[in-house]
Amino acid sequence: MNDFLMLNVLTELEDAVGRENVSTNTVDKITHAVDYFWLSRMFADRGCRMPEADIVVSPADATETSKVLKIANYYKIPVTTWGGGGGTQGGAIPVAGGIVLDTKRMDKIYEINEKGMYIECGAGAIYKHIEWAANERGYATMHYPSSLTCSTVGGFLAHRGIGVVSTKYGKIDDMVLSMEIVLPNGTIINTSTAPKHAAGPDLNQIFIGSEGTLGVITKAQIRIYEQPEERRFRGFLFQNMTDAFNAGREILQKFKPSVMRLYDNAETASLIKKIVGVEKPGAFMNVAYEGVKELVEVEEKILLDTFAKYHAEDLGSEYGEKWWKEKITFFYPGHMMDLPQCFGTMDTIAPYDKIENIYWKMKEAIETNFPQARFIAHFSHWYEWGCMIYDRFIVDDVPQDPAEAFRLHNDIWNTGVRTALANGGVVNDHHGVGIKLGRLMKEQYGPAMVVFEALKKELDPNGIMNPFKLGL
Amino acid sequence: MLISQKSKQIVDSCRFCWMCRHICPIGNATGQERNTARARALTLSLVERGAADFSGGIADNVYECALCGACTKECATGWDPVKFTKETRNEIVMTGAAPAYITKMIETLSETGNVYGKTALCDDLKKAIDGVSAKTDVLFFLGSDARYAACKQAKGAIEMLKGAGVKFTVLADEPGSGYAWDFLVGAADETKNAMTECAKALNEFKTVVCYDPADAKVMLREYKEWGIELKPEIKTFTAFLAGKIADGSIKAAKTNKTLYFQDPALLARDLEETQPARDVLAACGEVKEMLLFGKDVMWAGSSMMAVYMPKVMKLVAERRWADLAHVGGKVMVTASPSEYAALADVKPEGMELYTIEEVVKGC
Repeated sequence: MNDFLMLNVLTELEDAVGRENVSTNTVDKITHAVDYFWLSRMFADRGCRMPEADIVVSPADATETSKVLKIANYYKIPVTTWGGGGGTQGGAIPVAGGIVLDTKRMDKIYEINEKGMYIECGAGAIYKHIEWAANERGYATMHYPSSLTCSTVGGFLAHRGIGVVSTKYGKIDDMVLSMEIVLPNGTIINTSTAPKHAAGPDLNQIFIGSEGTLGVITKAQIRIYEQPEERRFRGFLFQNMTDAFNAGREILQKFKPSVMRLYDNAETASLIKKIVGVEKPGAFMNVAYEGVKELVEVEEKILLDTFAKYHAEDLGSEYGEKWWKEKITFFYPGHMMDLPQCFGTMDTIAPYDKIENIYWKMKEAIETNFPQARFIAHFSHWYEWGCMIYDRFIVDDVPQDPAEAFRLHNDIWNTGVRTALANGGVVNDHHGVGIKLGRLMKEQYGPAMVVFEALKKELDPNGIMNPFKLGL
Repeated sequence: MLISQKSKQIVDSCRFCWMCRHICPIGNATGQERNTARARALTLSLVERGAADFSGGIADNVYECALCGACTKECATGWDPVKFTKETRNEIVMTGAAPAYITKMIETLSETGNVYGKTALCDDLKKAIDGVSAKTDVLFFLGSDARYAACKQAKGAIEMLKGAGVKFTVLADEPGSGYAWDFLVGAADETKNAMTECAKALNEFKTVVCYDPADAKVMLREYKEWGIELKPEIKTFTAFLAGKIADGSIKAAKTNKTLYFQDPALLARDLEETQPARDVLAACGEVKEMLLFGKDVMWAGSSMMAVYMPKVMKLVAERRWADLAHVGGKVMVTASPSEYAALADVKPEGMELYTIEEVVKGC
C-alpha cells in the first residue's frame, strides 16, 4: 500500500477509535509481533525482527471494532486479533502485516450476576481480573491455566483454552454462556442467551477455537462457581503408566476430581523433583477433590480404595499442596524451558483405548528421529472417556542459523503431530493451531475441512481475518 | 546498551514472560501491550541486539513505567524489571535519546530543584513553614512533591504536628532528596550530587521524618548504594505518627467512617512498611481493605508522572477509585502526597479522600 493510501486508512481508523488508540510506533509494532510461539521468540533471540503490523488499533467496544473491520474490509487489509499474546501457536502474530486489533481496552466488567452465576465482561479483560471480581463476591471462575494472569477472556475463548481444575469444571467452552462477536463485515452478533439448546448448532462452539479467523469476540458471559467448602490434595506414585491410566479411568467413572495430573517418569524425575520435591522414581499423580465437605470425605475414601487396587503409593497431601501453591511457578523464567533450547508442547487428546499407545508412539517417534531431543509428558485433563497428553520435546543444541532452527522445529512438530494423528489423536488439545500447526489441519480433518472453509468463505470472503492461521 | 550484565540478564528473562501483566497499574489502565515488563524487555533486548534503537516510542515506553515494583514483587523467580528500566533511563539520557518532554523535565529539575518548575511555595505553606523554621532535633522533611504539588496537604501536616505539640523543624529552603533525579535518570552523577547535598542538610538533625515515602525510600536505600553518609535516624511519617499515637503524645480523633488505606507502593514494597499506617487509622475508626493492599498494593498515580502523561495518570487513579467502589468503600486514605494529588484529580462524586494526618486530626 502506498504512503498516501496508508495515511488515508490511518486517519479513518483514528476517526473510528480515537487518535490515541491507533499507533504506527515501532514500540507497538515490535511488542505485537512476538508472542509465546517458540519460532517468534527464537527470531527475536537471534536479533531478527518478526513480521510486524503496519498499524496497531485498540478499540473500546464492539461498535468501534465494527468500524475497524469495515475499514479493513473495504481496503482489504489483514486483521490479526491480539489479546494477551500469551499463545504458543503463533496465532496472534501478524504474519501478513496490516492491522493488529488489540482487545485489551475492552476490559470492562459489566455485571456480576449472582443469580445467573456469570460475569459479563469485555473480551479484553485479563482473566485474573475477572477471577478477582468473582472472589470479591465469594465466587471463583475455576479457570486456572498457567497463563491466568497474562491472558484475556477472548484469548482463552479464541483458542479453546483449559485450566488446571478442568476435570471437574470443564474447559473454557463449558464456562461460557453467551458471546458478542463482530463478524468480519462489521456486523455485531450475539450468540444465544443460553448455551444448551436445540435451536440449531451452538453458535458459541463455532466461534470458540476459531482463533480470530471468523470474527472478533468482544464480550462474553463467563460462568462463576461457589468456592468449595473443602479442597483436598493427595499425591500418588505409580510404578507404571498402565496402572496410572487404569486408575484414572476408573476413578472418573465414580466422581470427578478437580485436579488430576499424571507425570511420566521423565517429568517426575525432572520438573516434579525440582519444584514439588518428589525424589522417588515412578509416575507421580496429583489429585485434588473439592466441594461440599461431606462429599469430599466420601470422594477421598473412594479415591484411596480405587488407587490402592492399582498399587499406587499414597504420598499424602504434602506434595499435592506444594504443587497447588507452585502451579504457576513452573512457567516463570528460570523454571521453564527457555532459549537457547528448542522446545514445544504437542498436546493431544484421545479416548482411553488409544491414549497410552499414543504416548508411547510419540515418545518413540521423537526420540528415534531426533536423538538430540528429550521427551517428557504429563496427563492433566481427564474425562470419563479419555484424557489428554501434554507432551514436550526439549532440544538443547539448536542450530544458530534461524532458518535451520526453523526447519528443525517444524520437523519435530510434523513428526510428533503426525504420529498422534496416525494413532487416533488430534492436532491439538488446548493451545490451538495458529500458524504453527495450520498445515496439519487438513491431515486431521480430510474432507471435513470443507466445513471450516465454507464458514470462512461466507463470513470472511476477503480473507482478511487472521490470514494463514488455523489452516484457513 | 551500557547497562549492567545483571540488567541484561533480567531483560532476557522477562522478554517472553507476561506473568506480571495483571498487576501493572499502567498496563491495566491503558490496555496497551507496550505497558508490560515483557514488552519493555522485548524491545530493549532488540536494542541490545542491534535490531532496534530508542526511536519509535521505545524510549518513551521506558518512561511510561511507574517504577512501583509490582512486577518485581510478583515475579516467582525474583527478576526485577525496575532495575533494567532505571538503568535504561540512564542510558537513554546519557546517549541523548530521551524524549523531549523528559529532557525538559530534567532541565526544569536542574534549574528549579523540582520537576514542576515552581520557584516559590504557595503562600499558606510558606507561612506554615515560617512558624516551624527554628532549629530542633527533628527535621520534618516535606519533599518536593508535597511542597509543589500538594502544598495544602503539606501545610495540614505541619499544623497537625504543631497542634499536637510535636517539636520539629521544616526547612524553608529544603533541598530535593534526589528522588526525582533517581526517577528520571537513575544512577547519574546529578543524582548522587543531589543526594549528597541533601544529606548535608539532613545531617544537622538527629531525626528526619519523611512526609513522602518516596524520599524515605531514597534516603534509606539509594543513599546507602551511593555510600552517602546519613547521621540522623530516618523515619517515615506513618511510623512516626503511629509511635506518637501509641505513646499517647498525639491523640487520634475518632470517626465513624470506614477507612481504606492506599499503601504507597514504595513504602509497602521497598521499605516493607504496611502496619503503622493501619495502626494509626485503627486508632481513628474501622479499617478495611480494598483489592490488592499492603505489599501487593496497586499503585494509584503520581503528580510527577502527571507532568508528562496526565491522561494516563487519570486512568490509573480512576481504576483505584473503582477498586474502592467494588468493595463498597467510600473513604480512601493515602500517605503519599504524590498519590494524593493523582487521586484527588479524579475523585468521584460521593467518595472521600484524606491524608492520614487529616484522619488523625478529624475528618
